[in-house]
Amino acid sequence: MIADRASVPACDEHHCITCGDDGDPMTVVRVDPDRGLALCSDEEGARHTVETALVEPVTPGDRILVHAGTAIAALPAQDESETAPA
Amino acid sequence: MKYVDEFRDADLGQALAGEILSLVEPGRHYKFMEVCGGHTHSIYKYGVDDLLPSNVELVHGPGCPVCVIPMGRVDDGIALAHEEGVIFTCFGDMMRVPGSNGSLLEANAAGADIRMVYSPLDALRIAKQNPDREVVFFAIGFETTAPSTALTLKRARAEGIENFSVMCSHVTIVPPLRALLESPDLRLDGFVGPGHVSTVVGARPFEFIPADYGKPIVVAGFEPLDILHAITMILRQLSDGRCEVENQYKRVVPYEGNQRALEVMAEVFELRPHFEWRGLGFISHSGLKLSEAYADLDAERRFSVPGVRVADPKACQCGEVLKGVIKPWECKVFGTACTPERPIGTCMVSSEGACAAYYNYGRFAREREVV
Repeated sequence: MIADRASVPACDEHHCITCGDDGDPMTVVRVDPDRGLALCSDEEGARHTVETALVEPVTPGDRILVHAGTAIAALPAQDESETAPA
Repeated sequence: MKYVDEFRDADLGQALAGEILSLVEPGRHYKFMEVCGGHTHSIYKYGVDDLLPSNVELVHGPGCPVCVIPMGRVDDGIALAHEEGVIFTCFGDMMRVPGSNGSLLEANAAGADIRMVYSPLDALRIAKQNPDREVVFFAIGFETTAPSTALTLKRARAEGIENFSVMCSHVTIVPPLRALLESPDLRLDGFVGPGHVSTVVGARPFEFIPADYGKPIVVAGFEPLDILHAITMILRQLSDGRCEVENQYKRVVPYEGNQRALEVMAEVFELRPHFEWRGLGFISHSGLKLSEAYADLDAERRFSVPGVRVADPKACQCGEVLKGVIKPWECKVFGTACTPERPIGTCMVSSEGACAAYYNYGRFAREREVV
């Protein structure tokens, strides 16, 4: 593994999701189709309410890329993912 | 961790570094710009620059939205935050950007109700929870973030939430790139294109770079191997005599972008005739404002803002850093009068800003160079 030079905190006054053009992979846990929202779990297991209008339809178990509370892309399922560049 | 471990594999990194070495022509100097602040941050955080030959230089572009916000816009935000009954909300880094008379953080300390949010949806939630207050969201960011603001405005309209408004400072990625390419003092050999902006706009809008300016661009992901792979792809284009848009980040970026995001942006926003970028000046059609259909949710119409243009501090050379003309440490005040704790220029504010990224990580590499 290429190691971090230092740990970087999540979004706070020293790091901004917008500046970092961050995209957090999350897994859909529960869908609220009437409100266009989904409860999602990030890779640390924390839960987030996510706007899903740009990637609908989503179902529990789907993987999505989230930026600023909005899913901006659907991610391939784990077993369909391509491997790292070689 | 899926999508992380395999893109930080040290052996693969060394293999890509070896391929890069085999592709460069000895005696030729290569200068590539990474457009996105997230790439700048990853390059320094993981030491990607240490794996490159000395004749491959990375320069840092204007892709950090906080870094390009001019002082006058910060002053406007502070004025709004001081309005009676207003709760002013913004992303974390905006809090520390210096205006002409202090930052939002200092305005907060002086009594203004300013709250950090992670998303526009959080700001809307604050509005619902405080029906007797006016909640303003300071919207910044490129096309990655703009759809989130647009969807939140549509939601506010649909749910009839009237005490919510947006101060729109969203910017678009293509006009500043064209401005940079027109700049006579900048010679670039290629671009590492922005990753998540491209999930929204796609890779197609960058076709003007090879077509009009003869430079290759490779849209890249944010892991260290993504960036090394993108540099390899640019060098391979140069070596083969090709010049085109390539997409290294295919696992996330569709070439045509996200049509729904583009549609919602077209509904909610319209282009400003001009928008001021810190250090780059006014760039035509580079900023977004709310469309007439959403004018009632525009904080700049709901309240009065000073709208005064403020010149950047004289000592600050953020503009030249943003254009990649000078390296962060070549600025007169870098690391002395201007530090992440007390920034003079915006590039020192965000950890994705070139100066802060270099201050936090890269100075170690430079010390090795000096030795």
